[in-house]
Amino acid sequence: MGRYLARRLLYMIFVFFVVSILLFGIYKLVPGDPARLMLDSTLATTDPERYEAMYEAARERLGLNDPIPIQYLKWIGNMLTGNFGYSSVYRMDVIDMVAAPMKNTILLNLAALVLVFCITIPLGIAAAVRKNSLFDHTIQVGTIVGYSLPAFLIALVLIFLLAVKVPAFPISGVTTPGFQGNAFQKALDVLYHMCLPLLVLALSSAGGLTRYVRAAMIDALRMDCIRTARAKGLREKVVIYTHAFRNALIPMVTILTGWFVGVFGGSVVIETIFLWNGIGKVLVDSLRQQDFSVVLAMQMFYVVLTLAGNLLMDLGYCLADPRVKLN
Amino acid sequence: MRGRFGSLRKAIFGSNASPPLEETVETPLRTILRNFQRNIAAMAGLGIFLLILLSCFILPVFFPLDTSYQDVTQQNVPPGFNMLRLPTEMEKEPVQISAGSVFSVGINGDGKVFIWGQASQKLRQIPGNLRRAVQVSAGLDHVLALDDTGRLFTWGNSRFSLGSIPPELLGAEIRQVLAGNQVSLVLTSDGRLTFWGNENLMTLRLQEVQGRIQKAALSSSACLALLEDGTVASLTTLETPVSAIPESIQGKVADIAVTDKAAAAVTVEGRVVTWGSNVQDVPEALQGKAVSIEAGRSHFTALASDGTVFSWGSNNFGQSDVPSSLEGEKVTAVYAGSYQNYAVTESGKVKTWGLKGYLMGTDGYGRDIFLRLISGGRLTLTIGAIAVIISTFIGILVGGFSGYYGGKVDMVLMRFSEIVGSIPFLPLAMILSAIVGNRVSELGRISMIMVILGVLSWPGLSRLVRAQILAEREKEFVTAARAVGVREQTILFRHIIPNVITVIIVSATLDFAACLLTESSLSFLGFGVVEPSPTWGNMLTGSQSSTVIGTYWWRWVFPALALSLATISINLVGDGLRDAIDPKSSER
Repeated sequence: MGRYLARRLLYMIFVFFVVSILLFGIYKLVPGDPARLMLDSTLATTDPERYEAMYEAARERLGLNDPIPIQYLKWIGNMLTGNFGYSSVYRMDVIDMVAAPMKNTILLNLAALVLVFCITIPLGIAAAVRKNSLFDHTIQVGTIVGYSLPAFLIALVLIFLLAVKVPAFPISGVTTPGFQGNAFQKALDVLYHMCLPLLVLALSSAGGLTRYVRAAMIDALRMDCIRTARAKGLREKVVIYTHAFRNALIPMVTILTGWFVGVFGGSVVIETIFLWNGIGKVLVDSLRQQDFSVVLAMQMFYVVLTLAGNLLMDLGYCLADPRVKLN
Repeated sequence: MRGRFGSLRKAIFGSNASPPLEETVETPLRTILRNFQRNIAAMAGLGIFLLILLSCFILPVFFPLDTSYQDVTQQNVPPGFNMLRLPTEMEKEPVQISAGSVFSVGINGDGKVFIWGQASQKLRQIPGNLRRAVQVSAGLDHVLALDDTGRLFTWGNSRFSLGSIPPELLGAEIRQVLAGNQVSLVLTSDGRLTFWGNENLMTLRLQEVQGRIQKAALSSSACLALLEDGTVASLTTLETPVSAIPESIQGKVADIAVTDKAAAAVTVEGRVVTWGSNVQDVPEALQGKAVSIEAGRSHFTALASDGTVFSWGSNNFGQSDVPSSLEGEKVTAVYAGSYQNYAVTESGKVKTWGLKGYLMGTDGYGRDIFLRLISGGRLTLTIGAIAVIISTFIGILVGGFSGYYGGKVDMVLMRFSEIVGSIPFLPLAMILSAIVGNRVSELGRISMIMVILGVLSWPGLSRLVRAQILAEREKEFVTAARAVGVREQTILFRHIIPNVITVIIVSATLDFAACLLTESSLSFLGFGVVEPSPTWGNMLTGSQSSTVIGTYWWRWVFPALALSLATISINLVGDGLRDAIDPKSSER
């Protein structure tokens, strides 16, 4: 286990560096000069000499005069020591800029995580227990429909139904602008704004997950221990919810850990549609505004998330089922 | 499901009373086919998908899309084909008909005003005190009418003071009313024109001709006047293609008409002369006997002295195709406007031709959604298919070598696939499209999207192929092939891969749906294929606001429906294939 972990971590670090070189290379291909972006362009016409001096100073400060490998080393050094760069659009450090969106993203995704598991686990178990019944076939087709629909489409339909036809929910923002009230009222306001994005997130991921739970549960119900439990004369409820479900949990834990990492990533599409000020929207906005140092930092963040997610999934599998040998 | 088919089999082959026959030997492919055919959902999916595929690849041949086409007058038109459907009361003794952008108004023998086509609620509110109308004119989104007491009425769009009649026209004797693109024109019988409306679109220079005007003709960008001495004058302050009036006709003109870019005049000898840009030849049969002429946005319709009708000009909505049912009929009057034509025959019947409406409505730029949907589908499906081909190719190659050779090759290739797999897809695709996309042509951008999609989505498949090959390579047939001395690569690609091809096909099918979704999400966010090339994803881009979602439902419902039907049917097929290939998986 320890050796496996060490080797795995080593691979992760290797992959991380390769990806970072790749991404840095792409970033360097971006046309445009970040040093010029930082300066006030009106100065170029009024006082060109001072502008040139400031431009040179900015280039020096940003390290643009160094050869590319040196620039990379400096950049990755900054990244590793927690200096994620400077947003040229918001004129603040990236780490300060993403703090609030990160909070919103985690809030939304945690809520979605809870909701999705509340929907999919009972549904998956019910379908597995009544395998090949009409109910099961309905769920099967329904889940295919669910995972075939892109999130933005579900969002459009829900906006049409729940915000246009029946104006029940707001369609944009995290809070009501200028909202006054105590902490509880504020929390309720956020929750109210969260309804639609939450529903979209839950619906768009419920399909695949329900199928997964169902498959895991069917496998578990085929185990010998279940036959033994039934032979002992245990009530069917106990057999399903205690004996089978525990065994089905193993693959579910893998998915859960993978998902948990996704909580920090946010959804680009959903956050953009509902103007939910989260990580995904920061990425889209930065891309639209050509704020590439933010984009690069975000991209590295996503890489770390994916790598950590993969590792956590393997470890979760190992922890949930001691029989699993990692190699 | 098994029970139902069991009973079906019993019904067809008789009951199980006869001793069970020995199971016939089938090739695996036939088993797969049979299993697949039994799956109702998968077969339905296949049917729907084939239908979508065929429509997207065959229909655009018959309905080609001009991506640069836009038309402000046709914005946000709801689906329906009622633009030429006259109310039955209107059919009786039509006095006058005027075609506006997407609706028409008319007066019947009782002086009653009717409005049909895609008229908004505002347009349908015909003033109650308008009793016996004698003249109507339909504009972009307003109507101007004159009753038998000489009173003017206007309704519909009331912006740019269109809703109020200028005071100097009160009590004046009126000869002609004209409603245009957010402008109104009224000609009094003493030859004076009054103009009001949106002056940003058109301003007129009237001093030199006031008091001598016989008739005015109006289009969205040009305004011509026929003066009492038979000469034609251009009234717009801006130079337009129709401002250069041929000298040869001056003094001999009997009727005029003007489209957006061209003008036509009927001379007293019955000849038709056209000028402006994009003018098309006047039908030879018409020359010498033309009586009156009317114009739409880009076509002319003329009436000859013997009662025949001729239409010419652009024909994108069939507005220049005079129906054959008019042959032999004597036409007494023709009315044309926008893309519509109405001909009243001697027997009092009204024949129509031109734009009837749109199957799926139009979008915010006046483009036909149906045309964009089928062409967009072709692009979306092509991008998805090519991306899947690229990713499958790389996946088989990497997974094949990795699984077959193992050891160091496996190590390096799997780390490589891990690197590619750990790059978050959507953000990277967005970055690449933002950086590279702005510097290449439209086609370059589309191919770039395909390549990005393909190059980033193979790691999953390569792992799958590797696992399959690991299982296959230890089998006897591989050992046998090796013993015979078959080359390593031949063993891999000719002996092993065909054995795992079914798994690859299933994976490719499911990847195809995933690629469609990813491309649509990218285009929806504006980082994929961009306007004016349509894809199902970017057709939905403009539909994010709640007004569009609520009011202009047709703008998002149809692309959304097409996209979801396509992905659902592909996933159903993929799922059915997987179940058919691996019967164990259907147990799960």
